[in-house]
Formats: sequence, C-alpha cells, structure tokens
Amino acid sequence: MRIRWWRPPRRLSFTREGRIAVFLSIGVGFAAINTGNNLLYLLLGWILSFIIASGVLSEATLKGLVVTRRPPPRIYASEPFLMEVVIANEKTRRASYSIEVEDLEGTRPIDKRCYFLKIPEGKQQRTSYRHTFVRRGQYTLTGYRLATKFPFALFRKSRDVDAPLEVLVYPARVPVSRPPPRTANRGDAVADRLGRRGEFHGLREHRSGDDRRDVHWKSSARTGRLLVREYEDELARRLVIVVDNALPDDVRDAVTANADTAGPVTEPGPWSQGFGAMTPALDAQVAALERAISTAASLASAYLAAGWTVELAARGTRVPAGTGKLHEAAISRALALLPYVSEAVAFAPLPPRIESVLVQPRGVIANGRPSAGTVLEV
Amino acid sequence: MRFAAAHKAATYLLVACAYVAMIAGGGVSPLIALAGAVGLVGSWWWEPPLVRFERWSWVWTVASLFALVYSVLTAIVTGDFLGVGAQFLVWLVVAKAYNRRAARDWQQIYLLSFLMLVAGSVLDPDLTYGVCFLGYVIAATWAMTLFHLRREMEDNLLVKHAADRASERVEVRRILDSKRIVGARFFVGTGALSFGVFLISAAVFLALPRVGFGFFLKTKNSLVLRGFADTVKLGGHGLLKDDPTVVMRVEVASQIGGRNAPEIHWRGVAFDQYRSGTWRVSHDAPSTLDIVDSPRPGVERHTLNWIWSRPSEGDAIERVGARQDIWLEPLDSDAMFGASLPRVFERAGQLRRPNRTNMQNDELRLEHSGTIHYTVWSQLAPPPVTVLRKASGPLPPNYQVYLQLPLDEISPRTIALAHKIADGKSNNYDKAVAIREWLVDNLGYTLELVEPRRGQEPLDFFLFDRKKGHCEYFASAFAIMARIVGIPTREVDGFLGGEWNEYQGYVAVRAGDAHAWDEVFFPGSGWVTFDPTPPDRNDPLGRGGEGWRAKMSRLMDTMRFQWTKWVIEYDLVAQLSLFRDLGSALKHGATELRDVLVRVVRLWPLLVGIGGIVLAVVLFQRRRALALAPTSGGPPRGRTSIGRVYDAVGRRLAKAGFARPPAQTPRELVARVPQAIADDVRELTELYYSAEWGGNIDPAAERRAAELAAAIRAALDRPATA
Repeated sequence: MRIRWWRPPRRLSFTREGRIAVFLSIGVGFAAINTGNNLLYLLLGWILSFIIASGVLSEATLKGLVVTRRPPPRIYASEPFLMEVVIANEKTRRASYSIEVEDLEGTRPIDKRCYFLKIPEGKQQRTSYRHTFVRRGQYTLTGYRLATKFPFALFRKSRDVDAPLEVLVYPARVPVSRPPPRTANRGDAVADRLGRRGEFHGLREHRSGDDRRDVHWKSSARTGRLLVREYEDELARRLVIVVDNALPDDVRDAVTANADTAGPVTEPGPWSQGFGAMTPALDAQVAALERAISTAASLASAYLAAGWTVELAARGTRVPAGTGKLHEAAISRALALLPYVSEAVAFAPLPPRIESVLVQPRGVIANGRPSAGTVLEV
Repeated sequence: MRFAAAHKAATYLLVACAYVAMIAGGGVSPLIALAGAVGLVGSWWWEPPLVRFERWSWVWTVASLFALVYSVLTAIVTGDFLGVGAQFLVWLVVAKAYNRRAARDWQQIYLLSFLMLVAGSVLDPDLTYGVCFLGYVIAATWAMTLFHLRREMEDNLLVKHAADRASERVEVRRILDSKRIVGARFFVGTGALSFGVFLISAAVFLALPRVGFGFFLKTKNSLVLRGFADTVKLGGHGLLKDDPTVVMRVEVASQIGGRNAPEIHWRGVAFDQYRSGTWRVSHDAPSTLDIVDSPRPGVERHTLNWIWSRPSEGDAIERVGARQDIWLEPLDSDAMFGASLPRVFERAGQLRRPNRTNMQNDELRLEHSGTIHYTVWSQLAPPPVTVLRKASGPLPPNYQVYLQLPLDEISPRTIALAHKIADGKSNNYDKAVAIREWLVDNLGYTLELVEPRRGQEPLDFFLFDRKKGHCEYFASAFAIMARIVGIPTREVDGFLGGEWNEYQGYVAVRAGDAHAWDEVFFPGSGWVTFDPTPPDRNDPLGRGGEGWRAKMSRLMDTMRFQWTKWVIEYDLVAQLSLFRDLGSALKHGATELRDVLVRVVRLWPLLVGIGGIVLAVVLFQRRRALALAPTSGGPPRGRTSIGRVYDAVGRRLAKAGFARPPAQTPRELVARVPQAIADDVRELTELYYSAEWGGNIDPAAERRAAELAAAIRAALDRPATA
C-alpha cells in the first residue's frame, strides 16, 4: 500500500458550504478592510481558522485507516454482487468520523461508495457495496479512495491508496436446459435417473462450498459436527462441452483496436461500447460468441450440479474431466479468461465415445469444428 | 444525549449567541428584541409530531413578504438601514426556526446567525460582543459538526445492502434518536477544538494587516457630558460626580501612575469669554497652532505650538515629555484630552480627512466616532517659580480676549475683593497664588446647587452669599478675579485624576471625574495650570476603593479595556509595535522574550480564566477515562503452552501450503489438511481449544500436544505422503 508518487497525496474539492464559507470570508474581508471595523477582522479570523481547523481535522480523521476489500467467491458478469469492505481504525486515541470509501478502477472511482459514520479507535467496521461487472474477465481494482467531509463539510478531502485487488468475473449465467444425451453408448444413463444424486457412499465433515441439501442432519445432530453425504463417483455420466471461440480476423482486430484506451464498461449495452472500431455487424458476432461462452458456462454448471463429469474443450484451451464445485470453478475460470482466437487454432482432440455438446455462436463462420453429439447454436 | 437533540441544542445555542451579540448593542428596539427572543424559545417545540410544517408554510410565506415590504418601507422612510436590516434579520431567523424541515433550512439558520454576528459587529463593539463571540465559536463547532454528520447520515449511510434482495433504506429516525453517536466526550473534545479555533482566530486577527480605507466608520452612541460643548453655563445642572462611567483609559509612565501619585489634570477644552454666567469661546480667541506631520508611515502627528512656550519641535517633546496612551470613548465632544499641558498628539492615520473644525484656545479637536486611541506627550512640570515671578512683557496679538470682563455684570464687591486680595503682591504669579489660596481657604466645596436670586450675578452669589460651590464656580471666580487684577486667564474643562487600575497599570477616567480649572498666561513662559478648587474630602470616586466590590469592578474594567485596546482599537500602530516587540524578542533572545512574557503575564485575569477552562477539560477527560477504563487492567493474556505448540504446528502447516487465513477457524483448517495428518491435527486443535479458551491445561494434555506436534511434523517431512 503506497501512494503513487505522481499523484497528489491529497485532493481537496469544495462543497457548497465550503464555497459559501470562502464567499463569506471574501465579503467580510472586504468589509473589514473597507470599514476598518476590527470586529469584522475578528470574524474574518474566525472563518479562516475554521477552514484551517477543518483541514487539520480531516487530515487527522483520514490517518491510520486501513481498508480491506473482500469480494465474494464467485462473481458473474451482468449480475450484481456484494463487495465487503472492512475498514480498521489503527489510531489508538481518536475515532474517525464520516469516512467514505470508493474502489478505484485505474484512477477513477467506480460508481459505488461506502459510508462509515464512526469508526472508534482501534476498532473495525464493515459494510458492503453492490456492484455489477457487465463483462466476464479479469478485473483489477487498483486501490481505494478514502474521503471525508468531516468536520464541517467545507471540503471533501480524499486520499488514494494503492491496493490492487484482482477480481475474476465469470461469464454471465443464462438459463439453459440440459439437452438429453444423444449418444446412447451408456445404456444405463437413462433419463429417469438424471434427477437423482447417485449412490450413497458415506459421510464426511462439511466443507465450505458443499451443497446444504447434502447435510445429513441426523448424524450431524448426533455428533455435534456438520456432516454431509458423499455419493458414488458417477463416471458413468460424462460430457464434453465444446465452445468455438474463433472469430474472423477483422472482428478480432476491431475488438483489440481501441481496447487500451477504452474506459470501463459500466452499463450493459452493445458490445461495441468502448471499442471504437466496431460496426453493428461485427458487434453481432462478438455478442454471439459471448452468448456461446455464457451458455457453455451455464451448461457446465447445470451438468455438474446433476453429478455429471464434465470436460471443457475450446480452441487452445482444455479443462480435463472433473466433477464437483471446485471443478465448476475451474471451468468457469477458463471460460472467464477464454480469448478470441483465429480459426487456425485447433481444438484439442475430443475423447472418444464420450457424450459431447458443441456450443457455437450464431452468425460466426469458422472451420475446423469437431463433430459433436449435440450442437447448440446460440 | 440523543443525536437529534444534541444537534438542535447546539444550533439553538449558536443562534442565541449571535442573537445576543446583535441586540446587545441596542440597534434593535427592545420590544422587537424581546419578541424575537420569545419567538425563538417557542420555536424549540414547534416541530413534528406536534406541528406539521407544511400546513403552516403559507402563513410564514405571507408574513415574510409582509415583513420584507414593511422593512423596505421603514428603511426608506427612516434612513436607518442598519437598524431595519437588523430587525429584518430577527424576523428571518425566527421564521426559519419555525420552518426547520430539511438540511437547507438548518444551513440557512447558520448563515443568518453569521449575518447577525456581522450586524452585531457594527452595532455593539462592547465586551458583551466578545463573550457572545466566544460562545458562538464553540457552538458553531458543535452545530456544524453535528449538522454535517446528520446530513451525511441522511444522504449516505441509510442504505442497507443485501446479496439476495434489493437494497433497503434504514429508518432515519432510529439513528437520529441514537444516544451512542455523540456523548459528553464529543462535546468536550469539540469544545477544546473550538478553543483552538478561537486561538487561531485571535492569531489571524492580530496578524491581518490593518490597512483600512475607512469609508464607512462605525458610530457608537456617544456619552453626553456637560462641560465640553461650545458653551458652559455656570450653575446649570450639577456635575454628576458619582457617575462611574469610564470615559477614557490612560496608560501612563509608572512615575505618574499609581495609587498615590499626584492627580493629573486631563485638559480638554478652554473658554475665554465670560458673560451672563456662561463661558464661551469667542470669535477673537487665538487659534490653536496645530502643526500636522507624519513622523512614520500611517501615523498622523499634531504638534501644538503653544505660544511663548518651550521648544516646539515634536521629536524633542517626544523625548522629554510624559507619554500617555489614551483610549477615549466616544463623547459628544470631539475634543482630544491629554495631561496638562499636552504638546504632541499622535494617532494611526486615517485617510479620511475630517472637516477641520476651528480650533481655538490651544484645544485639539479631531472628529471621531467610536473609541479612539492616540498617544500624547505632555509637559507636566510648570516653569520654575522664579521664572514665573519675573515674567513680563507685552501680550501676544489677540491675547486681550483673556482679559475680557463683563464689567456691566460683575458686582463692585467682587472687583473690590479681587483687588483686596491681590493688590499687595508685586507680580502676577504671586497675585494668582494669593487669589487661589484665598478661594481654597475661605470657600467650601459642595455639589448641592442653590439658584441665586433673580438678577444676582452667579459669581457674586457664590463669593458672598452661598460661600460654597463646585469646581466650575471656583474656576470661574478665579478667572474673573485674576482678570480684574490684570492677569490673562482662561477657564479649562477636563477631568481630574481617575481610578488607578492595579491589574493593568492604567488610569480609568470616569464621567464623575469631570473638573474645571484655570490656566494663567505668563509672557515668556506661557500657560500655567492653576486649580483653585479645594481638595474634596468627600470625593465619591477618588482613586478607587479598596473593597472587594471596587476591586471586582476594576477587574471588569480591565477586561473591557483589554477588549477595547486589543480588539476595538487595534490599529496599524498597535500592530506594528506588536510585531516589533515580537521581532526584537526573537532577535535579542531570552531577555527580550522575558519582557514580552512579563507583559503577557500581566494579562493574568485572562490567563487564569483560560487555565481554569483547560484544567476543567483535562480533569473531566481524566475522570471519564478512569470511568471507562476496563476494571481488570493489566497486559493482554499470554499464550498457553499448548497454544504455543499449536502456533508452531500452524507455521509448519503454512509452510506446507495449508496456511490458515484470518477468516478461517482452526477447526475449518482441519477439514483442509491432508488425510494422513487430519486426525492428529484435529486432536491437537481440540486440545488447543480446550487449553486456550477453556483453561484446561494439565501435564498430560501438554505431553499429548507435544507428541501430536512431533507426529504431524514427521508426517509433513515425508514428501511422499504429503
């Protein structure tokens, strides 16, 4: 946590009251000089010292504050999440009043701010703000801004602190229906068993992330520990989800053309937002691919939740088969970071005789797609 | 205290201070001031749920319009814009107090209170203003801070976020009613802060350069005193010898100050023509020879060139004369007073040139309104008696006026008496002394006035029938009798003596010290003061009493004087001298600094007050700190032996990739460690819980913990299983 050297350590901006105070001091100062009335000098002295005291106190209130931000474990694009903000007052003698905390993306604050009325000395307080990232991918919150108008709301004084926080935003969740298996190479995987959760294997202690429905309440009550059921591994139901992340060269060029200078995207809208070189036609293709990625992620979650073993394949990317919540995170992570590639990049070879779903973007033409049991065009 | 109540109380205190500061000067009529005060008090309860503001807003709007029209019309008719403006301010603040709905209304109340303070600065430069200002500074710090918190709460805080549902607003009322946000500690802390603000204000006040243009100088109700107008009628009203109103305060050199020092004649105006029992300044009286120059930038110097007098060079007189620093309250006269005989007057220059009044009889008159500060250098000692006895020669031109006599009015027995007293003496000086001694020895002093018979000359009545009177009778009788025997004489009005203030070392001259005496002209030597009034044994004011009430009143006067000296009349000269003092103190080091400190220490009444406040704050905070301190003090509890074993294992686990983040409990960690050591870690964790938090430590448990730790370490050191 260090203050960037090229940035002014403090920023001051006048509030409405501050402008009134400055206006009054100019008026009273003029009147004092004009009339020689010493009491007006006294009033002028008071306003000026009030402003000075305001600066000193706001400085003291911003001192010794440390902010920790805790994002939730999973953040999905276009879905609001709560960022927990914990602020600790490390001063030993003075409370801090009226503190605002804003997350910074680059040097700009994101649109939400957290307010703390009073942070007693040596104590910490927590609150959270609601925010939405419109697009999937890796975000960096470069730091946070501490601001206060304490004590007289004459100024808003702020201090930027560098504290990079990496946030991974998973693809947006979309409603999907699991297509029924087409390749009947496993005759026992009949439709009426899909809703079940498999064979009972044993009990183990609850871990973070376990489905609450799996808690075995009777045993938990008996032992005093939270125990969950474990099921037989369901190798029987395997699936490969294939996403075609190829885009024609001109579209990719348009996407990357202005990416560096584009500002953060805060509102859902056309994909061209923020990318200067896009046209509606190119935009439609990117939107379709993003839809495909979202669908693939949602499909993977749906199958994994049903107990399937899922593998992910895309051009240049592969997540080996796996199961459970952790595996879902791995797939979501891969999809969150999935780049747009050229159609020259080949798919990893699909395992033989395994059920597969190909999710391909509508309106994007690419060669070299593997043949899959089910093809979803979105 | 509830937060909302604290905010309201602080705001009302603020308004009260500003209100008193404004009305104390008397610029607002007492009836309106009282009505405003009653209205403000009533507005305290005028709020929901008792009253709904919206239902009454139209009434206030109409009434405000009416008040505005009325004020504008009154101002145009009477021309008293300041007074009417102050009255309108009273209306506005009362109206706002009854309509404090939103944050903006509170803001406007603060702004109005500040405007009242500004208005008060013009209307009331008294010490009351200083006290109100101090209260205002403290209340403003409280009110503004609380207002800021309140608005931030209303704007910001009151949204509660939840992951699974829309964010909801928290009830504002609940927080405004909370007693936990501000307490006594807050008020004491911010009170101390506002004291700091006050000190900085004072420093800024002293440091701001005093280069004024003085277009609109303030005016203050002046004190009407008899004796300093253009005419003085003998035997009109009695002098108010017991009026303790201070008319001027004089800092004098220590040899002429002090309780037992000789009383000084503070010379003001002089009269040359006596007729029908009235003293006047005649047209023919010689004009004052007033030489004006500027010895230093921003300073105006008047050197009075007393004819036939000693060196008239101003710088020379400033070296040899007795210096006095005078703070003169506004009187109905524009005469400048100084110890007799005043030679040089200096004051901070003002660019506005007053209309020069015709000054005669060696008076100095400068138009001023409000308290004025100036410095005088006087020649106190008269010429030696031998010189005066030898004084002879022709009178300067126009000096015949000092021999004027209304011969048709003066009774023959008065003339006869004068000759009888003086004729045996060989020179004017001895004649004058003889007349003075005769008056002092043969006549009595009284303030009880008895009107002479119709048609009787007042002096004749005084000398032969009444045989007692006050100073004006003595001075007049002396002047007339001296003129009868051919001595040029004039009557002088001013003040005598004054109360010696031991706290600050100055003389407070009161209205009751007004006095009349004479000046006798000796060719070649100039004017010499003669006071023919017998020393008054029953002077009710004197040099000031010794009782505690007199001392208290002197203490109060000290404060008032400090206020006048350092606030009201703090000018460029005072500022430059302060800076010079500070500068030389810094330059010359400790000795000078000590002198300045000694001067500061002389302000001990103020220092004691400040010290008392600081002490009270410190004691109060200590008491609170003691009350709030945890009852079982002592250092934080150390780790138990098992706790330390657990910590060591924790570090080893962290090295192996199973660090426990702060948000994770030790039991949660157990779920994460590899299966091979899970059981050992679980058992150790339970031992740790039991020891550290349950207080169960016994040698068996310690041994078991050590075994488990060793086992875990061993398992982690085997890379294959880890």
